[in-house]
Amino acid sequence: MRVANLSFRYGRRAPWVLSGAELSLAEGDVVEVVGPNGTGKSTLLRLLAGLLRPVRGAIEDRPPVVGYAPERFPADQPFTVSSYLRHMAAVRRADPAVVGEWSERLGMAHLLDQRLPDLSKGSAHKVGLAQALLCRPGLLILDEPFAGLDTATRAELPRVVGEVSARGGIVVVSDHQGDLRAFPGLRRCEVRDGAVRALDSTDSTRVETLVGSPGASSGGASPAGAGRAVSSTVRAAVLRVEVPAAEATGLADRLRAEGYRVDMDSGGPANQDTPLPEAAE
Amino acid sequence: MIALARFRLVGYIASHRALQPFIGLLPLLAIMYATPVPAGQELGAMADSAGMLIPVFAWGARGLLDREPDEQRMISLVATGRGELFSGLLAAYAYAGVLASISLIALVTRLSADPTAGMLAIGVLLHVFSITAGVALGALTSRPILPSPAVSTIALIVGYLVTLMVSTSTSVGQWLAVPVMAWMRDAHHGLLTDRLPLLSVQSLLWPVVGIAAYAWLRRTRP
Repeated sequence: MRVANLSFRYGRRAPWVLSGAELSLAEGDVVEVVGPNGTGKSTLLRLLAGLLRPVRGAIEDRPPVVGYAPERFPADQPFTVSSYLRHMAAVRRADPAVVGEWSERLGMAHLLDQRLPDLSKGSAHKVGLAQALLCRPGLLILDEPFAGLDTATRAELPRVVGEVSARGGIVVVSDHQGDLRAFPGLRRCEVRDGAVRALDSTDSTRVETLVGSPGASSGGASPAGAGRAVSSTVRAAVLRVEVPAAEATGLADRLRAEGYRVDMDSGGPANQDTPLPEAAE
Repeated sequence: MIALARFRLVGYIASHRALQPFIGLLPLLAIMYATPVPAGQELGAMADSAGMLIPVFAWGARGLLDREPDEQRMISLVATGRGELFSGLLAAYAYAGVLASISLIALVTRLSADPTAGMLAIGVLLHVFSITAGVALGALTSRPILPSPAVSTIALIVGYLVTLMVSTSTSVGQWLAVPVMAWMRDAHHGLLTDRLPLLSVQSLLWPVVGIAAYAWLRRTRP
Protein backbone atom coordinates (compact mmCIF):
# COMPACT_ATOMS: atom_id res chain seq x y z
CA MET A 1 0.00 0.00 0.00
CA ARG A 2 1.41 3.36 -0.99
CA VAL A 3 0.50 6.94 -0.17
CA ALA A 4 1.79 9.14 -2.96
CA ASN A 5 1.98 12.94 -2.78
CA LEU A 6 -1.13 13.04 -0.60
CA SER A 7 -2.70 16.41 0.07
CA PHE A 8 -5.97 17.03 1.85
CA ARG A 9 -8.05 19.88 3.16
CA TYR A 10 -11.67 19.92 4.33
CA GLY A 11 -12.83 22.76 2.09
CA ARG A 12 -11.70 24.96 -0.75
CA ARG A 13 -10.76 27.77 1.61
CA ALA A 14 -9.70 25.58 4.52
CA PRO A 15 -6.01 25.19 5.36
CA TRP A 16 -4.19 22.12 4.12
CA VAL A 17 -4.15 19.39 6.75
CA LEU A 18 -1.75 17.22 4.77
CA SER A 19 0.42 18.41 1.93
CA GLY A 20 2.51 16.16 -0.27
CA ALA A 21 2.60 13.33 2.28
CA GLU A 22 4.36 10.13 1.30
CA LEU A 23 4.13 6.77 3.04
CA SER A 24 4.80 3.23 1.98
CA LEU A 25 3.30 0.31 3.87
CA ALA A 26 4.34 -3.28 3.33
CA GLU A 27 2.50 -6.45 4.30
CA GLY A 28 2.86 -7.08 8.00
CA ASP A 29 3.79 -3.50 8.85
CA VAL A 30 2.67 -2.10 12.17
CA VAL A 31 2.82 1.68 12.05
CA GLU A 32 2.30 4.06 14.93
CA VAL A 33 1.22 7.52 13.87
CA VAL A 34 2.19 10.20 16.36
CA GLY A 35 2.05 13.95 16.50
CA PRO A 36 0.59 16.79 18.54
CA ASN A 37 -3.17 17.21 18.81
CA GLY A 38 -4.84 18.68 15.75
CA THR A 39 -2.03 18.00 13.31
CA GLY A 40 -4.00 15.56 11.17
CA LYS A 41 -3.41 12.09 12.60
CA SER A 42 -7.09 11.12 12.51
CA THR A 43 -7.43 12.71 9.07
CA LEU A 44 -4.53 10.59 7.83
CA LEU A 45 -6.14 7.49 9.32
CA ARG A 46 -9.47 8.28 7.65
CA LEU A 47 -7.72 8.81 4.34
CA LEU A 48 -5.93 5.48 4.71
CA ALA A 49 -9.24 3.79 5.57
CA GLY A 50 -10.84 5.24 2.44
CA LEU A 51 -13.31 7.42 4.33
CA LEU A 52 -11.92 10.62 2.85
CA ARG A 53 -10.78 11.18 -0.72
CA PRO A 54 -7.42 12.83 -1.27
CA VAL A 55 -7.69 16.30 -2.77
CA ARG A 56 -4.37 15.63 -4.51
CA GLY A 57 -2.25 12.56 -4.77
CA ALA A 58 -3.40 9.00 -4.34
CA ILE A 59 -3.53 6.03 -2.02
CA GLU A 60 -2.73 2.91 -4.00
CA ASP A 61 -3.10 -0.81 -3.37
CA ARG A 62 -5.29 -0.55 -0.30
CA PRO A 63 -6.16 -4.07 0.94
CA PRO A 64 -9.76 -4.95 0.11
CA VAL A 65 -10.86 -5.69 3.67
CA VAL A 66 -10.41 -2.78 6.05
CA GLY A 67 -11.19 -2.72 9.76
CA TYR A 68 -11.65 0.71 11.31
CA ALA A 69 -12.07 1.51 14.99
CA PRO A 70 -12.80 5.23 15.48
CA GLU A 71 -11.41 7.22 18.38
CA ARG A 72 -14.87 7.48 19.94
CA PHE A 73 -17.16 4.52 19.44
CA PRO A 74 -20.73 5.71 18.68
CA ALA A 75 -22.49 4.16 21.66
CA ASP A 76 -25.69 6.16 21.20
CA GLN A 77 -27.42 3.39 19.29
CA PRO A 78 -30.50 1.33 20.19
CA PHE A 79 -28.80 -2.07 20.26
CA THR A 80 -27.37 -4.43 22.80
CA VAL A 81 -23.68 -5.27 22.42
CA SER A 82 -24.61 -8.71 21.13
CA SER A 83 -27.16 -7.55 18.56
CA TYR A 84 -24.89 -4.75 17.35
CA LEU A 85 -21.96 -7.08 16.80
CA ARG A 86 -24.17 -9.68 15.13
CA HIS A 87 -25.45 -7.02 12.74
CA MET A 88 -21.88 -5.95 12.03
CA ALA A 89 -20.84 -9.56 11.47
CA ALA A 90 -23.68 -9.91 8.96
CA VAL A 91 -22.62 -6.68 7.24
CA ARG A 92 -19.08 -8.05 7.08
CA ARG A 93 -20.31 -11.49 6.03
CA ALA A 94 -18.41 -12.95 8.95
CA ASP A 95 -19.33 -16.07 10.87
CA PRO A 96 -21.57 -14.98 13.78
CA ALA A 97 -19.53 -17.24 16.04
CA VAL A 98 -16.64 -14.76 15.91
CA VAL A 99 -18.75 -12.35 17.94
CA GLY A 100 -18.50 -14.61 20.96
CA GLU A 101 -14.85 -15.33 20.39
CA TRP A 102 -13.83 -11.69 20.19
CA SER A 103 -16.06 -10.80 23.11
CA GLU A 104 -14.26 -13.37 25.24
CA ARG A 105 -10.88 -12.25 24.06
CA LEU A 106 -11.49 -8.55 24.67
CA GLY A 107 -12.98 -9.25 28.08
CA MET A 108 -16.53 -8.14 27.36
CA ALA A 109 -18.46 -11.40 27.24
CA HIS A 110 -20.35 -10.33 30.36
CA LEU A 111 -21.50 -7.19 28.55
CA LEU A 112 -23.16 -8.86 25.57
CA ASP A 113 -26.68 -8.28 26.87
CA GLN A 114 -26.05 -4.68 27.87
CA ARG A 115 -27.41 -1.82 25.78
CA LEU A 116 -24.76 0.23 24.03
CA PRO A 117 -25.79 3.56 25.62
CA ASP A 118 -25.37 2.00 29.08
CA LEU A 119 -21.72 1.04 28.52
CA SER A 120 -18.80 2.80 30.14
CA LYS A 121 -16.35 4.56 27.85
CA GLY A 122 -13.85 1.71 28.00
CA SER A 123 -16.47 -0.97 27.39
CA ALA A 124 -17.88 0.93 24.42
CA HIS A 125 -14.35 1.24 23.09
CA LYS A 126 -14.00 -2.54 23.24
CA VAL A 127 -17.12 -2.90 21.09
CA GLY A 128 -15.52 -0.55 18.57
CA LEU A 129 -12.40 -2.69 18.51
CA ALA A 130 -14.40 -5.90 18.20
CA GLN A 131 -16.39 -4.71 15.17
CA ALA A 132 -13.14 -3.77 13.44
CA LEU A 133 -11.69 -7.23 14.05
CA LEU A 134 -14.71 -9.32 13.01
CA CYS A 135 -13.71 -9.30 9.37
CA ARG A 136 -10.04 -10.45 9.49
CA PRO A 137 -8.87 -7.14 8.06
CA GLY A 138 -6.01 -6.79 5.61
CA LEU A 139 -5.72 -3.19 6.80
CA LEU A 140 -6.54 -2.44 10.41
CA ILE A 141 -6.90 1.22 11.36
CA LEU A 142 -7.07 1.92 15.09
CA ASP A 143 -7.56 5.49 16.26
CA GLU A 144 -6.39 5.73 19.89
CA PRO A 145 -7.18 2.08 20.60
CA PHE A 146 -5.84 2.00 24.15
CA ALA A 147 -7.91 4.89 25.49
CA GLY A 148 -10.00 3.79 28.46
CA LEU A 149 -9.12 0.09 28.23
CA ASP A 150 -8.55 -2.05 31.30
CA THR A 151 -5.16 -3.63 31.99
CA ALA A 152 -6.01 -7.06 30.62
CA THR A 153 -7.26 -5.67 27.29
CA ARG A 154 -4.30 -3.30 27.05
CA ALA A 155 -2.11 -6.36 27.32
CA GLU A 156 -4.18 -8.31 24.82
CA LEU A 157 -4.32 -5.68 22.10
CA PRO A 158 -0.61 -5.81 21.12
CA ARG A 159 -1.02 -9.56 20.75
CA VAL A 160 -4.01 -9.02 18.44
CA VAL A 161 -2.01 -6.47 16.44
CA GLY A 162 0.82 -8.98 16.20
CA GLU A 163 -1.51 -11.63 14.83
CA VAL A 164 -2.93 -9.34 12.14
CA SER A 165 0.64 -8.41 11.21
CA ALA A 166 1.76 -12.04 11.23
CA ARG A 167 -0.76 -12.99 8.56
CA GLY A 168 0.35 -10.13 6.35
CA GLY A 169 -2.10 -7.44 7.43
CA ILE A 170 -1.13 -3.81 7.79
CA VAL A 171 -1.90 -2.14 11.11
CA VAL A 172 -1.92 1.63 11.48
CA VAL A 173 -2.40 2.97 14.97
CA SER A 174 -2.70 6.46 16.36
CA ASP A 175 -1.60 6.16 19.96
CA HIS A 176 -0.89 8.99 22.33
CA GLN A 177 -0.26 6.70 25.26
CA GLY A 178 2.59 4.81 23.64
CA ASP A 179 1.28 1.36 24.56
CA LEU A 180 2.65 -0.08 21.34
CA ARG A 181 6.03 1.59 21.72
CA ALA A 182 7.68 -1.69 22.73
CA PHE A 183 6.07 -3.66 19.91
CA PRO A 184 8.82 -5.48 18.01
CA GLY A 185 9.42 -4.06 14.54
CA LEU A 186 7.11 -1.09 15.11
CA ARG A 187 7.44 1.68 12.54
CA ARG A 188 6.73 5.17 13.75
CA CYS A 189 5.58 8.14 11.70
CA GLU A 190 5.00 11.69 12.82
CA VAL A 191 2.38 13.95 11.32
CA ARG A 192 3.52 17.53 11.59
CA ASP A 193 3.13 20.63 9.43
CA GLY A 194 1.16 18.69 6.83
CA ALA A 195 3.92 16.16 6.25
CA VAL A 196 4.33 12.55 7.33
CA ARG A 197 7.87 11.93 8.56
CA ALA A 198 9.34 8.56 9.49
CA LEU A 199 10.79 8.43 12.99
CA ASP A 200 13.51 6.07 14.12
CA SER A 201 12.07 2.76 15.19
CA THR A 202 12.25 1.91 18.86
CA ASP A 203 14.66 -0.83 17.91
CA SER A 204 15.86 -2.53 14.78
CA THR A 205 14.75 -5.94 15.82
CA ARG A 206 13.60 -8.27 13.10
CA VAL A 207 10.91 -10.44 14.54
CA GLU A 208 9.26 -13.46 13.14
CA THR A 209 5.97 -14.00 14.85
CA LEU A 210 4.48 -17.44 14.82
CA VAL A 211 0.89 -17.81 15.85
CA GLY A 212 0.17 -21.11 17.48
CA SER A 213 -3.20 -22.11 16.07
CA PRO A 214 -3.17 -24.00 12.76
CA GLY A 215 -5.69 -21.65 11.16
CA ALA A 216 -3.63 -18.65 12.05
CA SER A 217 -0.40 -20.09 10.80
CA SER A 218 -2.00 -20.61 7.41
CA GLY A 219 -2.68 -16.94 7.01
CA GLY A 220 -5.14 -15.74 9.59
CA ALA A 221 -5.23 -14.78 13.21
CA SER A 222 -7.50 -16.82 15.37
CA PRO A 223 -9.45 -14.89 17.95
CA ALA A 224 -8.42 -17.57 20.39
CA GLY A 225 -4.85 -16.70 19.47
CA ALA A 226 -2.94 -18.56 22.16
CA GLY A 227 0.53 -20.00 21.91
CA ARG A 228 2.41 -17.07 20.44
CA ALA A 229 6.14 -17.62 20.31
CA VAL A 230 8.67 -15.07 19.22
CA SER A 231 12.10 -15.77 17.87
CA SER A 232 14.34 -12.89 17.13
CA THR A 233 17.84 -11.81 16.47
CA VAL A 234 18.35 -9.15 19.08
CA ARG A 235 20.90 -7.10 20.78
CA ALA A 236 19.28 -7.47 24.16
CA ALA A 237 19.79 -6.44 27.76
CA VAL A 238 18.61 -8.28 30.85
CA LEU A 239 16.72 -6.42 33.53
CA ARG A 240 15.91 -7.82 36.96
CA VAL A 241 12.71 -6.35 38.31
CA GLU A 242 11.25 -7.13 41.73
CA VAL A 243 7.48 -6.86 42.01
CA PRO A 244 4.92 -8.05 44.59
CA ALA A 245 4.17 -11.73 44.02
CA ALA A 246 0.49 -11.03 43.40
CA GLU A 247 1.33 -8.77 40.45
CA ALA A 248 4.07 -10.90 38.94
CA THR A 249 1.99 -13.08 36.65
CA GLY A 250 0.00 -10.18 35.25
CA LEU A 251 3.09 -8.13 34.60
CA ALA A 252 4.83 -11.09 32.99
CA ASP A 253 1.83 -11.67 30.72
CA ARG A 254 1.75 -8.04 29.72
CA LEU A 255 5.45 -7.96 28.89
CA ARG A 256 5.13 -11.16 26.90
CA ALA A 257 2.21 -9.63 25.05
CA GLU A 258 4.49 -6.81 24.03
CA GLY A 259 7.02 -9.28 22.66
CA TYR A 260 9.52 -9.55 25.51
CA ARG A 261 10.81 -12.77 26.97
CA VAL A 262 10.21 -13.05 30.67
CA ASP A 263 11.66 -15.38 33.28
CA MET A 264 10.17 -15.59 36.75
CA ASP A 265 12.27 -16.62 39.70
CA SER A 266 9.36 -17.38 41.96
CA GLY A 267 8.06 -20.24 39.85
CA GLY A 268 4.50 -20.65 38.58
CA PRO A 269 3.09 -21.52 35.19
CA ALA A 270 4.49 -18.49 33.43
CA ASN A 271 8.14 -19.54 33.57
CA GLN A 272 7.77 -23.11 32.43
CA ASP A 273 8.59 -22.66 28.80
CA THR A 274 10.22 -19.30 28.42
CA PRO A 275 13.94 -19.50 29.01
CA LEU A 276 15.88 -16.30 28.71
CA PRO A 277 17.53 -15.84 25.34
CA GLU A 278 21.24 -15.54 25.09
CA ALA A 279 21.70 -11.90 25.69
CA ALA A 280 24.38 -9.33 26.04
CA GLU A 281 24.09 -7.31 29.20
CA MET B 1 -25.86 -4.18 1.38
CA ILE B 2 -29.05 -5.96 2.45
CA ALA B 3 -27.59 -6.67 5.90
CA LEU B 4 -26.63 -3.03 6.32
CA ALA B 5 -30.06 -1.87 5.14
CA ARG B 6 -31.63 -4.21 7.71
CA PHE B 7 -29.31 -2.86 10.42
CA ARG B 8 -30.29 0.71 9.61
CA LEU B 9 -33.99 -0.08 9.45
CA VAL B 10 -33.90 -1.96 12.76
CA GLY B 11 -31.94 0.88 14.35
CA TYR B 12 -34.41 3.46 13.04
CA ILE B 13 -37.40 1.59 14.40
CA ALA B 14 -35.75 0.67 17.72
CA SER B 15 -34.73 4.30 18.28
CA HIS B 16 -38.43 5.25 18.02
CA ARG B 17 -37.53 8.01 15.58
CA ALA B 18 -39.52 6.08 13.01
CA LEU B 19 -42.62 7.12 14.95
CA GLN B 20 -42.21 10.78 14.01
CA PRO B 21 -43.22 10.55 10.33
CA PHE B 22 -45.78 7.91 11.25
CA ILE B 23 -47.39 10.28 13.75
CA GLY B 24 -47.25 12.97 11.06
CA LEU B 25 -49.02 10.63 8.68
CA LEU B 26 -51.98 9.95 11.00
CA PRO B 27 -53.54 13.46 10.99
CA LEU B 28 -53.06 13.63 7.22
CA LEU B 29 -55.02 10.41 6.82
CA ALA B 30 -57.65 11.64 9.27
CA ILE B 31 -58.13 14.83 7.24
CA MET B 32 -58.06 13.19 3.80
CA TYR B 33 -60.47 10.42 4.69
CA ALA B 34 -62.71 12.12 7.23
CA THR B 35 -65.53 11.56 4.76
CA PRO B 36 -65.84 8.64 2.34
CA VAL B 37 -64.43 9.10 -1.16
CA PRO B 38 -67.39 9.40 -3.60
CA ALA B 39 -67.76 6.86 -6.38
CA GLY B 40 -65.87 7.95 -9.50
CA GLN B 41 -63.23 9.84 -7.49
CA GLU B 42 -61.00 6.83 -6.80
CA LEU B 43 -58.10 7.86 -9.04
CA GLY B 44 -58.33 11.45 -7.87
CA ALA B 45 -58.08 10.34 -4.25
CA MET B 46 -55.07 8.17 -5.03
CA ALA B 47 -53.31 11.04 -6.82
CA ASP B 48 -54.10 13.41 -3.93
CA SER B 49 -52.69 10.87 -1.48
CA ALA B 50 -49.50 10.38 -3.52
CA GLY B 51 -48.96 14.11 -3.85
CA MET B 52 -49.58 14.95 -0.21
CA LEU B 53 -47.43 12.17 1.19
CA ILE B 54 -44.16 13.27 -0.45
CA PRO B 55 -43.05 15.35 2.58
CA VAL B 56 -43.91 12.45 4.92
CA PHE B 57 -41.74 10.09 2.89
CA ALA B 58 -38.98 12.72 2.76
CA TRP B 59 -39.21 13.17 6.53
CA GLY B 60 -38.94 9.42 7.03
CA ALA B 61 -35.96 9.09 4.67
CA ARG B 62 -34.13 12.00 6.26
CA GLY B 63 -34.80 10.66 9.75
CA LEU B 64 -33.55 7.21 8.82
CA LEU B 65 -30.38 8.50 7.19
CA ASP B 66 -29.71 10.85 10.11
CA ARG B 67 -30.42 8.32 12.86
CA GLU B 68 -26.91 6.89 12.88
CA PRO B 69 -24.10 8.78 14.59
CA ASP B 70 -21.48 10.01 12.12
CA GLU B 71 -18.88 7.54 13.41
CA GLN B 72 -21.24 4.62 12.78
CA ARG B 73 -21.79 5.82 9.24
CA MET B 74 -18.01 5.80 8.83
CA ILE B 75 -17.78 2.26 10.19
CA SER B 76 -20.46 1.20 7.71
CA LEU B 77 -18.69 3.03 4.92
CA VAL B 78 -15.42 1.24 5.64
CA ALA B 79 -17.29 -2.08 5.78
CA THR B 80 -19.25 -1.77 2.55
CA GLY B 81 -17.84 1.13 0.54
CA ARG B 82 -20.48 2.63 -1.74
CA GLY B 83 -22.86 -0.04 -0.45
CA GLU B 84 -23.36 2.23 2.58
CA LEU B 85 -25.02 4.83 0.37
CA PHE B 86 -27.29 2.38 -1.43
CA SER B 87 -28.20 0.53 1.77
CA GLY B 88 -29.41 3.82 3.25
CA LEU B 89 -31.58 4.55 0.23
CA LEU B 90 -32.89 0.99 0.22
CA ALA B 91 -33.83 1.18 3.91
CA ALA B 92 -35.49 4.56 3.31
CA TYR B 93 -37.47 3.07 0.43
CA ALA B 94 -38.55 0.15 2.58
CA TYR B 95 -39.80 2.37 5.40
CA ALA B 96 -41.57 4.72 3.00
CA GLY B 97 -43.14 1.62 1.44
CA VAL B 98 -44.62 0.69 4.81
CA LEU B 99 -46.06 4.21 5.25
CA ALA B 100 -47.47 4.15 1.71
CA SER B 101 -49.06 0.75 2.32
CA ILE B 102 -50.79 2.05 5.44
CA SER B 103 -52.04 5.06 3.48
CA LEU B 104 -53.34 2.97 0.59
CA ILE B 105 -55.14 0.59 2.96
CA ALA B 106 -56.77 3.58 4.69
CA LEU B 107 -57.74 5.00 1.30
CA VAL B 108 -59.25 1.79 -0.03
CA THR B 109 -61.32 1.30 3.12
CA ARG B 110 -62.84 4.76 2.62
CA LEU B 111 -63.81 4.31 -1.05
CA SER B 112 -67.56 4.28 -1.65
CA ALA B 113 -67.20 2.02 -4.70
CA ASP B 114 -64.85 -0.89 -5.21
CA PRO B 115 -61.83 0.16 -7.31
CA THR B 116 -60.81 -1.82 -10.37
CA ALA B 117 -57.46 -3.59 -10.52
CA GLY B 118 -56.29 -0.98 -13.03
CA MET B 119 -57.12 1.85 -10.65
CA LEU B 120 -55.26 0.13 -7.84
CA ALA B 121 -52.24 -0.42 -10.09
CA ILE B 122 -52.18 3.28 -11.05
CA GLY B 123 -52.57 4.23 -7.39
CA VAL B 124 -49.62 2.05 -6.42
CA LEU B 125 -47.56 3.47 -9.30
CA LEU B 126 -48.28 7.05 -8.22
CA HIS B 127 -47.19 6.17 -4.68
CA VAL B 128 -43.97 4.66 -6.06
CA PHE B 129 -43.31 7.99 -7.80
CA SER B 130 -44.14 9.78 -4.55
CA ILE B 131 -41.79 7.55 -2.54
CA THR B 132 -38.98 8.10 -5.07
CA ALA B 133 -39.43 11.86 -4.89
CA GLY B 134 -39.64 11.78 -1.09
CA VAL B 135 -36.54 9.61 -0.67
CA ALA B 136 -34.56 11.85 -3.03
CA LEU B 137 -35.67 14.97 -1.14
CA GLY B 138 -34.94 13.33 2.23
CA ALA B 139 -31.50 12.17 1.11
CA LEU B 140 -30.56 15.60 -0.21
CA THR B 141 -31.51 17.17 3.13
CA SER B 142 -29.81 14.53 5.30
CA ARG B 143 -26.94 15.40 7.64
CA PRO B 144 -23.97 14.55 5.40
CA ILE B 145 -25.31 17.03 2.83
CA LEU B 146 -26.85 19.66 5.12
CA PRO B 147 -25.29 19.38 8.60
CA SER B 148 -27.52 22.05 10.17
CA PRO B 149 -30.86 20.59 11.35
CA ALA B 150 -32.58 23.96 10.90
CA VAL B 151 -31.34 24.44 7.34
CA SER B 152 -32.17 20.84 6.55
CA THR B 153 -35.77 21.14 7.79
CA ILE B 154 -36.33 24.39 5.92
CA ALA B 155 -34.81 22.92 2.74
CA LEU B 156 -37.12 19.93 2.96
CA ILE B 157 -40.26 22.05 3.35
CA VAL B 158 -39.21 24.62 0.75
CA GLY B 159 -38.21 21.85 -1.66
CA TYR B 160 -41.70 20.37 -1.48
CA LEU B 161 -43.44 23.76 -1.80
CA VAL B 162 -41.32 24.72 -4.80
CA THR B 163 -42.17 21.38 -6.40
CA LEU B 164 -45.88 22.10 -5.93
CA MET B 165 -45.63 25.63 -7.28
CA VAL B 166 -43.49 24.80 -10.30
CA SER B 167 -45.64 21.84 -11.24
CA THR B 168 -48.76 24.00 -11.14
CA SER B 169 -48.02 25.39 -14.60
CA THR B 170 -49.35 23.19 -17.35
CA SER B 171 -46.62 22.34 -19.86
CA VAL B 172 -43.11 23.55 -19.08
CA GLY B 173 -43.46 23.20 -15.32
CA GLN B 174 -44.09 19.51 -15.61
CA TRP B 175 -40.52 19.11 -16.87
CA LEU B 176 -38.98 21.39 -14.25
CA ALA B 177 -40.19 19.50 -11.19
CA VAL B 178 -41.97 16.32 -10.18
CA PRO B 179 -45.43 16.96 -11.76
CA VAL B 180 -47.36 16.52 -8.53
CA MET B 181 -50.11 18.98 -9.49
CA ALA B 182 -50.44 17.30 -12.89
CA TRP B 183 -51.07 13.95 -11.17
CA MET B 184 -53.95 15.45 -9.25
CA ARG B 185 -55.34 17.55 -12.08
CA ASP B 186 -55.28 14.75 -14.65
CA ALA B 187 -56.66 12.19 -12.19
CA HIS B 188 -59.62 14.36 -11.26
CA HIS B 189 -60.32 15.20 -14.94
CA GLY B 190 -60.11 11.60 -16.10
CA LEU B 191 -56.95 12.18 -18.18
CA LEU B 192 -54.43 10.33 -16.03
CA THR B 193 -54.57 6.96 -17.78
CA ASP B 194 -53.87 8.48 -21.20
CA ARG B 195 -51.06 10.72 -20.00
CA LEU B 196 -49.46 8.19 -17.68
CA PRO B 197 -46.45 7.24 -19.88
CA LEU B 198 -45.30 10.88 -20.20
CA LEU B 199 -46.09 11.63 -16.55
CA SER B 200 -44.04 8.58 -15.51
CA VAL B 201 -40.96 9.93 -17.28
CA GLN B 202 -41.52 13.40 -15.82
CA SER B 203 -42.14 11.96 -12.34
CA LEU B 204 -38.91 9.96 -12.26
CA LEU B 205 -36.64 12.51 -13.95
CA TRP B 206 -35.92 14.83 -11.03
CA PRO B 207 -35.86 12.18 -8.32
CA VAL B 208 -33.26 10.25 -10.33
CA VAL B 209 -31.26 13.47 -10.81
CA GLY B 210 -31.62 14.15 -7.06
CA ILE B 211 -30.42 10.70 -6.05
CA ALA B 212 -27.51 10.95 -8.49
CA ALA B 213 -26.61 14.34 -6.98
CA TYR B 214 -26.79 12.82 -3.49
CA ALA B 215 -24.47 9.99 -4.54
CA TRP B 216 -22.06 12.45 -6.13
CA LEU B 217 -22.01 14.75 -3.09
CA ARG B 218 -21.47 11.83 -0.72
CA ARG B 219 -18.15 11.05 -2.46
CA THR B 220 -16.57 13.84 -0.45
CA ARG B 221 -18.98 13.90 2.51
CA PRO B 222 -18.69 10.65 4.47
